[in-house]
Amino acid sequence: MSLTGRLLTALFLLSMPLQVLGWDWQTKVTVVVQHQSLQTVCELLEKNYGIHFSYSRDLVNLSRKVTLTVHNKRLKTVLEELFAPDDIKFTRVGDLLVLLPNNRTTRTINGYVKDAATGERLPGATIWSPTLKQGTVTNQYGFFSFTTTKDTSSVVVSFVGYQPQWRQFPKGDRTIEISLESTTHLKEVVVTGAESNNLQNQTQMSKVNISSAAVNKTPRLLGDADLIRTLQAIPGVSGGMDGVSGLHVRGGSPDQNLILLDGSPIFNFSHFFGIFSLINPDVVKSTDLYKGAFPARFGGRLSSVVDITLKDGDMKNFHGDAAIGLISTKFDLEGPIIKDKTSFIVSARRSYPDLVYNSLLRLEDDEKNKAELSAYFYDINAKLNHIFSPKDRLYLSFYTGEDKMNLQLDSASLPDTARINMLSSGFDVSWGNTIGALRWNHIYGPKLFSNISLNYSSYAFSTKIGYRYIVPAANELIDQVGSYRSRMEIAGIRADFDYRPSPQHGLRFGTAVNMHDFKPSMSSFADKTGSVTPLDTIANGPQNTAAEMLLYVEDDWQLTPSLFVNAGLHASGFLVSGKLYHSLQPRLGLRYMLPQQWAFKVAYTQMNQYVHLLSNYGTSLPTDIWVPATDRVAPMSSRQIALGIAKTTNRQVYEFTLEGYYKNMHNMIELRDPIGFITPDLLRWEDQVSIGRGWSYGGEAMIARKKGKTTGWIGYTLSWSTRRFAGINGGKIFPYKYDHRHDIEVVFNQVLGKNWDFSASWRFTTGAPLTLPVASYEGIETGSPWDPVSGPGTGIDRYDSRYNYRAENSHRLDIGINWTKQKSKWSRTWNFSIINVYNHKNPFYYYVKRDDEAKQRYLSKVVILPVLPSVTYSVKF
Amino acid sequence: MKQLLFFIYTFALVFILSSCEKKVNIQIAYEGDKLVMNTFMQPDSLIYVRVTRSVPVSVYDESAFKEETAAQVSIAASDGATLPTTLQTIAGRKYFVSALPAKAGLQYQITAASAGLETVAAKDTLPPAPQAREGYAQKNSTRIKFILNDRPGLGDYYRLRVFTVESGAPQKALLFRLDPAFNNNLIDIISNGNSTSLVMDDSRFDGRELTFVLQTEAPLTQTDSLMVEVTALTRNAWSYLRTVALQQGNAGVIVSEPVRVFSNVKNGYGIVAGINTKRLIFKVD
Repeated sequence: MSLTGRLLTALFLLSMPLQVLGWDWQTKVTVVVQHQSLQTVCELLEKNYGIHFSYSRDLVNLSRKVTLTVHNKRLKTVLEELFAPDDIKFTRVGDLLVLLPNNRTTRTINGYVKDAATGERLPGATIWSPTLKQGTVTNQYGFFSFTTTKDTSSVVVSFVGYQPQWRQFPKGDRTIEISLESTTHLKEVVVTGAESNNLQNQTQMSKVNISSAAVNKTPRLLGDADLIRTLQAIPGVSGGMDGVSGLHVRGGSPDQNLILLDGSPIFNFSHFFGIFSLINPDVVKSTDLYKGAFPARFGGRLSSVVDITLKDGDMKNFHGDAAIGLISTKFDLEGPIIKDKTSFIVSARRSYPDLVYNSLLRLEDDEKNKAELSAYFYDINAKLNHIFSPKDRLYLSFYTGEDKMNLQLDSASLPDTARINMLSSGFDVSWGNTIGALRWNHIYGPKLFSNISLNYSSYAFSTKIGYRYIVPAANELIDQVGSYRSRMEIAGIRADFDYRPSPQHGLRFGTAVNMHDFKPSMSSFADKTGSVTPLDTIANGPQNTAAEMLLYVEDDWQLTPSLFVNAGLHASGFLVSGKLYHSLQPRLGLRYMLPQQWAFKVAYTQMNQYVHLLSNYGTSLPTDIWVPATDRVAPMSSRQIALGIAKTTNRQVYEFTLEGYYKNMHNMIELRDPIGFITPDLLRWEDQVSIGRGWSYGGEAMIARKKGKTTGWIGYTLSWSTRRFAGINGGKIFPYKYDHRHDIEVVFNQVLGKNWDFSASWRFTTGAPLTLPVASYEGIETGSPWDPVSGPGTGIDRYDSRYNYRAENSHRLDIGINWTKQKSKWSRTWNFSIINVYNHKNPFYYYVKRDDEAKQRYLSKVVILPVLPSVTYSVKF
Repeated sequence: MKQLLFFIYTFALVFILSSCEKKVNIQIAYEGDKLVMNTFMQPDSLIYVRVTRSVPVSVYDESAFKEETAAQVSIAASDGATLPTTLQTIAGRKYFVSALPAKAGLQYQITAASAGLETVAAKDTLPPAPQAREGYAQKNSTRIKFILNDRPGLGDYYRLRVFTVESGAPQKALLFRLDPAFNNNLIDIISNGNSTSLVMDDSRFDGRELTFVLQTEAPLTQTDSLMVEVTALTRNAWSYLRTVALQQGNAGVIVSEPVRVFSNVKNGYGIVAGINTKRLIFKVD
């Protein structure tokens, strides 16, 4: 054989196996078929690429017709797309591609539940298989992952205020979107003890969901619906002083509430000295209040979590609201930027008492100085969301809100040589929050979802005063300006994962790193006309930067058909001034199904809080200052155990919950003496506080009617809350300032007809603790009766134990009525509300009054909320 | 339209501003009569002890603080000496006056007993004299200066007062404040408040020599001489004066709990504390 012949023979022999094994998974294939069976596609692949298929016609059905157009696509990808819907798996054996039926007994459907009209994702929607009695709930981003038996073909999807929907599941693992139709105008107002599905199917306890509809239906104070005021009507939540938007949950103080706005923490949640909530309720999608049984994903506060989710913006059409009330006006607008891809929502609100003062009631002080007053609050919300793909979505949200007051006085009188003469003075004070968040939702696969977010939140208080005056006798002109600022910032990155590996497990895990920056009490002063450098220096507060890290994992686990557990662990560390605090906080919830569809639940939680609030005895003020834990003042911690029973009736008309709880709290701080509204010298704040403990325990019952023309709830709370601090009250235990023994709340909503609906709420609270003096005695001012200006010392009141009295019981009835006229493209609504209908004089605070006219001393109470009607007009399009 | 607006707002504001105050029919319980013993002891000065009786809170007339003229008052010094007392009426008021002056460096325990009431007792030391000097003020101005030398690391406490002086004798207490321009005291400029005395600790000027600049409420036009009284206080005296000021300042303030006035008197009320006063009398230029 010639050389050429030998080479050709060798090439032939070498090419034999290459021809036989001429394909692999990376082989690029091109297939174009229209309405052909899978078998035809297989034959084409065999013919064009030498891929030999082997399968049993009894086990593998290739009759389904498909239409396929792929060019130079990876073989494995093409095969996955072809066979996944029929649950056919494939493997390579030698040069054969063997097709087998998939023997899996389960499959996973995942995706989002959304509003059919707006595309708004619906958190808390239920996906339920009645035959299997299995289901799942969408997370706060509207995502669900439901792993169920292979032959489950249909489920019921439901959400409060939406028409439940039977949904056929496609074959195989799929990512789908389920759209629910809103029921007409949300006539029903719902508050639930958990998500919209039955309470007995949720291991989570001590949680209440408030819909935005519920907030908007409640009677309005000065024309403004208010989220926190609605939360105050929930058992276990106390509002503090009458008319104030305080939040005292299960005996905890306001600084122990973790309030999250789209995942970002808020430090001060009120406008107008606590009268109004920070946020325009019209842009709130839903609010979850956790009073206990905190899931492991939450941490950093002791007593409650208020998780507020804002609307995302309509993906399909433009909508808006505008409302004008007695105290404020507001609007919001939402709509698509790119239809079904990108949407926005923007809202703004401003109060205007100052406009009234300046236009109708000119201010003059005692000396006839002219005054210009500016006093208002505003808030602005903006949110963008963009869908990059069915698996990726981005949210960008922003909030800023501020309370501002400015008073400018100008003298109109001639200078008096015998005294100091003011020429002008200006006073400016403002405080507010700024919050921003960027979140990315991503679906990795049918069972794994993630949310990665960047969060920023700050709270700042600022005041500035300018003062110009002259002393004619000395020919002195003095022009002074002083300022005081306080700022608290937090910025961080957070990753949350939601993994549903099987019907028995729902895993969540994540991590976060937050940087805290504390700049309390920064002052400056300038004397514009003076040449003297101040001798003393202003003692600014301690400035600190702290790093907080956390990791968590939790599993919603079905142990037996009747026993469920939610077990979690939250680990966190806090590094401040070279000191590292760390904690492991176990969270455990158990649910056991009792006969008649009652669920027995029990939960144990530990919480840590690394920041303290310097405030006066539980009364929140804008000037309150956040400080980090230090080496002398350790972080707060708490342990809470709760147990209870819960049930939702079959047609989800009624819900019933009964819970008891016990909570202890460590390393709480309390100021020994009151600090002023502005405290420039905070360097030694640790010396001004006592460290102590607190205990809270009690029970809560709630029955709610969820459906029908009449909705509402009745709640009852029996509670005790006490504190003990070294050096306060002689070291003895005393009640918490807002320790109310009994609370009753009745909330009632009635649809009266096509255009009318009526709401009422009545609450009764037993008296709060009150400290009164037990004697009066003579004081002393000087060392010798021969001293100048010697005389009888001032009378002094002797106070013995703290909270030695109870104030009067409080009760109040508020009503509201809405008249709505629906036009073809828009609607208008008049709301009339009356707060304190029967004008009960509930105490705001008490003090011992010295009545010089009557020559008496007696206990006097100040009432700020008499009968108070209001009217609001709003339009919606 | 404006009339309608006016109507709506007036209607709302009437309700807002109609926050009312109402007498509450809660009888404030009385802890019962207690002895009240008050004295500020000064070195090289006789000790003047006031002994009175407490009254219920509802008593309006402060002259109702009944003087316990039959009380037995004894003063014991830490060197073992006992200072006898006599009851004297000075400026219409009764005092138990020691026969001998208090001495610097000693601690004094004072007890008072009266029939039907628990015997009360309290003790304190005497602080050293404050190192204040060089009082100065200009006619028609509002500023008064003096220099204070603070002892380092000892936690000193002071009270300041200002008086007009006529014929060599102090006459009238002046209202004043720390001049914000010289003391960087933001609160003073915000509150724009004046008082007849200032009580402070040395936390912001510990161990330093500094010039205090006071600002009087009115220009110094009428007076020829002034007296700045700088009083060193023991911690007991400071705690008492400070909490008295806080209680009075917080009366009726909604955000605060009432302040308990400090007392070191066992079984009763009042204060027994040491002070040491230095008076700077100077001409107004």
